[in-house]
Order: sequence, then C-alpha cells, then structure tokens
Amino acid sequence: MILEVRGLAAGYQGSDVIRAIDFHVDAGEAVMIIGSNGAGKTTLFRSMLGLLPASSGQVRFQGSEIVGMPAQRIARLGISFVPAERHLFPRMTVLENLYLGAYPDRPDPETDDMVMDLFPRLAERRRQHAGTLSGGEQQMLAMGRALMGKPRLLVLDEPTTGLAPKLAAEAYQALDVLRGKGLTVLVAEQQVPLAMAFSDRGYVMENGVFELEGSSEELANNPQVRRSYLGVT
Amino acid sequence: MIANILDGIVLGLQFGLLAAGLTLVYGLGGVLNLAYGQMAVLSAIATLFAIDAGVPTLPAVGVGLAVGVLLGLIFDQTILRPIYRIQGEARVLLSLLLTLGVAFIVDGYLTWRYPTEGLSIRIGGGPIDILGVPMRRGSIVASVITLLALGALFAFFRGTTLGRAVRSVIEDEEGARLVGIDPRRMLRVILALSGFLAALVAITQSMVRPVTVTAGFGITVFALIVTVVGGLGSVTGAMFAGIILGMVNNIAASYIGTFLSLLILLGAAALTILIRPSGLLGVKE
Amino acid sequence: MTERFAEATGTSLIGGTEQRASRSLASLLLPIAAVGALLALVPLWLGDSRVMMGVAVVGLTFACYAIGFNVIFGSTGQLFLCVGALAGIGGYGAAILADTVGLPVAVSILIATLLASLIGGVLSWVAVRRSLGVIFTGIITLIFALAYENLLLGLGGLTGGESGFSISSGADSFLRRQIPPYYMMLVLVLVFLALHGLLRRSHVGWAFRALRDDELAAELAGVDVARYRVYAAMIGAAMLGLAGAIYAFTEGRISPTTFGFAQVDVVVLVMLAFGGIGTLLGPILGAITFTAIDEVLIELGQLRVLVYGILIIVLFLWIPRGVIPSLQAWLRRRRQT
Repeated sequence: MILEVRGLAAGYQGSDVIRAIDFHVDAGEAVMIIGSNGAGKTTLFRSMLGLLPASSGQVRFQGSEIVGMPAQRIARLGISFVPAERHLFPRMTVLENLYLGAYPDRPDPETDDMVMDLFPRLAERRRQHAGTLSGGEQQMLAMGRALMGKPRLLVLDEPTTGLAPKLAAEAYQALDVLRGKGLTVLVAEQQVPLAMAFSDRGYVMENGVFELEGSSEELANNPQVRRSYLGVT
Repeated sequence: MIANILDGIVLGLQFGLLAAGLTLVYGLGGVLNLAYGQMAVLSAIATLFAIDAGVPTLPAVGVGLAVGVLLGLIFDQTILRPIYRIQGEARVLLSLLLTLGVAFIVDGYLTWRYPTEGLSIRIGGGPIDILGVPMRRGSIVASVITLLALGALFAFFRGTTLGRAVRSVIEDEEGARLVGIDPRRMLRVILALSGFLAALVAITQSMVRPVTVTAGFGITVFALIVTVVGGLGSVTGAMFAGIILGMVNNIAASYIGTFLSLLILLGAAALTILIRPSGLLGVKE
Repeated sequence: MTERFAEATGTSLIGGTEQRASRSLASLLLPIAAVGALLALVPLWLGDSRVMMGVAVVGLTFACYAIGFNVIFGSTGQLFLCVGALAGIGGYGAAILADTVGLPVAVSILIATLLASLIGGVLSWVAVRRSLGVIFTGIITLIFALAYENLLLGLGGLTGGESGFSISSGADSFLRRQIPPYYMMLVLVLVFLALHGLLRRSHVGWAFRALRDDELAAELAGVDVARYRVYAAMIGAAMLGLAGAIYAFTEGRISPTTFGFAQVDVVVLVMLAFGGIGTLLGPILGAITFTAIDEVLIELGQLRVLVYGILIIVLFLWIPRGVIPSLQAWLRRRRQT
C-alpha cells in the first residue's frame, strides 16, 4: 500500500465535512473517487495533503504518517497534487512553471523530455506566460508541473473541469501513458465515464462519506451508480 | 532642465531600489512594513558608529549592510509571528499597527538619544561631466552601485532557483506549496533582502546628502508612494515608478517648491489607487 | 493571546459589544449624564490653574476626536488614518474663514465642519466605489493626511506655514477664557456620545454592525453598504471637524502639529484601543487615561513617541478589544462560574 487513509475526518470552522474516511491505494494502481458536487472530494484531498487541517484520522504514505505535515513537506515526500484550481504561476513562463515543479532540485532532462512529449502544446508555448494559456493548456501545464517532481503518487482533483470533451479525453490519454510507465494515480472526478475507463478501482463519495467501493467493473454495473452518475435509467 | 532630469534619475534609482524592498515584503507576506524607514536609518547609524570607531569606510559599510540583514531577520522572528497567527483583514490591520508601533519605538529612541546624528559618506574627487552637467562624484557612485544592485536583483529573480521560488510564492502561494516551496522560509529570505536593500539605499544616499536620524518616516513615505504606484508586489514596477517619480519630484521641486512637489507625488499615489490599484505592473487581484 | 483577535467578532479587530438590543432611552442617557456630571466637577478641582484647565480642554477635545473616529472605524470598519487632518480642516478652515475671509465665528465653524464632513464622505465614497480594502483605505487616507500637512506647510501665506496661525477672531469671546471652553467641549462630548448612542440603537446602527461583521451577508440582507459607510464617515468627520474648529478658537493659536498625524491619529488610536473600539464609553475612558498619562510623558520629550509605540504594540497584541469589552468579558465569565 502506497497510500493508506484511516478514519479521516475534516471540515471547516468546527464542523466536519468528511467523516470516517477509509481507503487505500496500492503501488501502480489507478484509483478514482467519484461523487457529485459538494460530496467532499476536494475536502478529502486537501486534508489528506496538508492544505487543510484534519480533525482526526491517519494518513500513511509509504509507511510514514503524514497527517499534520504542512503541504510543502508532503509534496517533497513524493506526492504531487493537481488541484481543481490548478494554482499555476500566471506571470511566469511555462518553462519556469515546469522547472519549479522539480523544486528543490534542478529539473531532470529526462523528465523534462517526457513531459514535453506528453504535452507537445506546452513545448510550443514554452516562453509564454502561464496566465495567457487556454484552459486546456493550463490543465496540461498543471499536470506537467506535478510530474516534474518525479512523484510516486499523482493526485488529481477534477482535472477535466471546464475542459471541452476532446481536451478531457486527451488529459486522460496522458494519464494512461503515465500509468503505463508505472505511476500510481488517484483521481477525483465528476465526469465519471472517463474516470471509470481509466481506473482499476473506485470509491463513491456522497455527503462526506464513502458509500460504495469496488473495482471499476463492479461500479460500472452497479445500478445505483448507473443511475446517479452514468445517466442510465 | 537636463540637470534636473539627471538628478531626478539619480534620485529615482534610489527610490526604485528602496521601494523594491518594501514591495517584496508586501507581495510575499501581505505585510506593509511601516517601520521600513527606521530599518534604513538604523543601518546608516550603525555604519556611522563603525566609522566613528575607526573602522575604514568599506568595512563600515559592510557592517551597515549586515545590520540591515539582521534587522530583517529580527523582524521576521518577532513582529511577524503574532501577525501570522491570524488571517485575513485582521492580519493586515495588525501588521499596519504593529509596524507603526515599532517605527515609533525606534524613531522615538533614536531622535531622543542621537538627535543630531547623521551618516554622510564623502566621495573624494571633483565632479564628473555627464551630458554637459557637472555631477557630484557621490551621486555617480551612488547611482552606479544602485544600478548594479538592481541588476543583481534581476539576475537573482530570473536566474536562480531561489529567486524563482520567491516569485512563485508572490504569484500563487498555494501553488508554491504544492511544488514543495515553504512560503514562510521564502518570506524570511525576502525580509533579510528587504533589510539589506533598505541599508544599501540609506548608505548610498548618504553619498549624495546626509541621512539623518529623523529621516525615518520620510523614507517610509517615499517608499510607500513608489510602491503603490509601481504596484504592490512588483520589483520591476517599483523600479519604473521610482525613476518616473524621481524625475517628477525633482522637476516639480525646482518649479513649485518641495512641499507642493511632495503633493504631486502623493497625488500620483492616490490616483494610482483610484484608477488602477494594482499599480503599473502589480499583481492584479 | 492573539487568538483573542480572531475571537473578537469573527476576524475583526473591532470588538464593540452591543450585547442587548435597544432598551429605553434612559438606559442610554443615564450613563452619559453620569459621565457628564462627573466631568463637570473637574473645574472645581483644576479650575485655578490655566495650564491644567488647558490640559483638561485638550483631553475633552481628544475625547471628541476619539468618538468621531469610533463612529467611522468602530461602527463600519473604515480605517481612516486622517483623523488629525479632518480635525485640522475644521480648525484651520474655521480660523481662515473667520480671520482672513471675515465671516462670523459661528458661521466659520459651521462651514468648516460641513467641509470636513463632506471630505470624510468623499473619502469613504471613493473607498467604497473602488472596493478598497483595509490597506488601501488606510493608505489613501494616510496620503490625504500627508497631503494636508504638506498643503499647510506649502501654502504658508494662507496658513502661516510651520509656525502656524494666531487666531484673532473670537479673542474676546467666552471661548478664550479659562473655564467656559471646558464646558463647551464637555457639551460637545456629551452630544457626540448621545449621537453615537442613538445611532447604535437605530436601524442605522444595526446596518453598521451588520456590515462590519460580514459585509457580504449584510449586502445580501439588503443593507446598502455604500450608503451606510458614507453616512458613518460623514457623521464621524463632522464630529472631528467641529471639535477641531472649536478647539482652534479656544486655543487661539494653531500650527501643523496641532493636527498632525503623530500628535492626533496615533494618540486617538491608542485611546480608542485602550477604551474599546466600537464601545460607547470607550473613547471617554481612553481619553481620560491617556490625557493623564500624557501629562506625565511630556517630561520625556522625544521618548514620549517611544512610549506610544510600546503602548500601541502592547494594546493591540494583548488587549485588542480594549479595556471595557475585556472587562465585560471577564465579568461574564465570572458570572458563569
């Protein structure tokens, strides 16, 4: 188990938004967390990764407890997080954004090549300011930056928000390639079909708790899931 | 007229470097350091004491610069702590009030204890001719040093990993944390830098005219005006605003007197806030 | 210790406690009358000394300033760092109108007060219109204060520049005598207190509190944030201008330091922080305490500035809500145990 979460609870101003969260991710797996808006997916990721204090629970990454650690330390341990808002550096160039992904190290030329191959549009726009990129390009840059740190676990929060279907598909194609190279991926998605095709396993989250879990196949065949998330009656 | 413009540029470069220190701290830490002028003055006084104690000029300047850096770090370890324990608007308010308090403490003590002291570094040699205007050697040396410092600053921010890391925190603090950058540590670096810049400007300014113990609040006001016009958080903006305002100040002063020329600068700052609060090149919220 | 900051009304520094909603008019007027009665006795004690009565008048003037600032900052959270300048517009304005332009004293005072009120309103309107946050409101009002000071120095012909202005108008009136100015100022203080108290209880006061605590919620609830902010600023600025104008005539002589930032704004900040920002009687407590303290500090000369610096830091770190609210909170806690 590369990531193990037990009894995690977190929230804002005293009241918990997520409760009793238990899940795990094994090395090399692709795991999805699906659920509607407000289900708590973002809160889960943020509290897991040090951006929000957890009120209780444990989070173990490669055996070490990371609950309570500040986000920047967790990032250096080998988890890269691509948040829904991306948080790029708008007045810095694409190259500068990418290079900082490797902080504190210098970017590794091999990784640099890999990212550029994966996202050729970024290579074209390397000297452009990140703030001037289109939505799809910004998403690519956010992913690329996350990859520069050579993470062992890549966590993405709704990577396809605001992307046209073609670009969303491209994003998942890139993730597929990365999976092929052995990267472990944890993704939260509202656009369920894409995530389902990509992942091995998944958890269904509603109202701050996990309601269902299973392999992607199991979930795809689950009538409740089909009704709520796949639009099948 | 040319003399005015040249003097204005000399002054403007100083304005720019000075404002850079203030704007960086605001851009990174959200704190407006109203005790900035006092940091500059303390560094100048440290240099003065070193010279009086017999230390040769260059090492004495080193002492002053070291004091500047030290003050920045002390600021980080003392004032910034209670400020960082709160969030949002209360933090801004508290930072204004606490730094104002510190400014008063330092200013009150210095003007009481050493009311007539001031640093003045004399650069020997006759005037140098620039575009037909005889410029004092001190002004030239001060400007050259300032230009070098500005160049070094740019090289730092564009070319070094640490510099880029600092910029990233100004751009997007959460994004910086996501790539492993510790904003608090970056702030410490910037505060040390800010103290250094305040010291450098005070010391080079003393080559042009004496920097007295009472100059503290005036320095802060000028730094504030240039920072606002250039844009909170932008060093490039500070530099451009500095040079422009330096020239405006000098030209206006020679035509309508010092008090009213300050009014023009204040007006420029007010106008900037009203029309384009992010300043010339600042971070647009 | 700084947790108390966040505690005080959400994230606000302002901790005025208007716990129970409006009660009878008597419950407002009684404390004010009590304060008035007490302060009315002061001349019995200090009346012989012209110097001491002068100090007392200054103390009450600062109480007026503090109440004005309280209305602007305590009620609606607008950080106006130009208290001295607004008072100075009243002071210098009235003096120039009376002496140079030749208007009757009362008219001069009225016009100057209205001018101060107008400028306060403009500053507030501008800040609201441009959605300036705390920092920019503070900076722009500070710029105004600095501009004002420079204007005074620059227009020496009109204002007497650095050495100031001797006011000849009203020299033979009751305002220049030893004891009447004190009662004049006392009346002002009591009127301002009553005004502030009434404001707090009216729907205007409710709007103030709403927008101070949560601007967005207030707007959604239908509070016209802009309008109330400007009202508060105009009322507060009028108080400042009026107090400044009357003070000018009682002193007979004003200079830029009479209304300077370090002399007025800093002191008023400390007074209000001590007494309790947003409370009714906080300004009075602060003014009395610090007028007394200042008398002692005069001896220290420049070190006085240092002491004020320390006071600002200590007050805002450890007693951010001020003495009155802290005392109330302490009493409440004791009643609970």
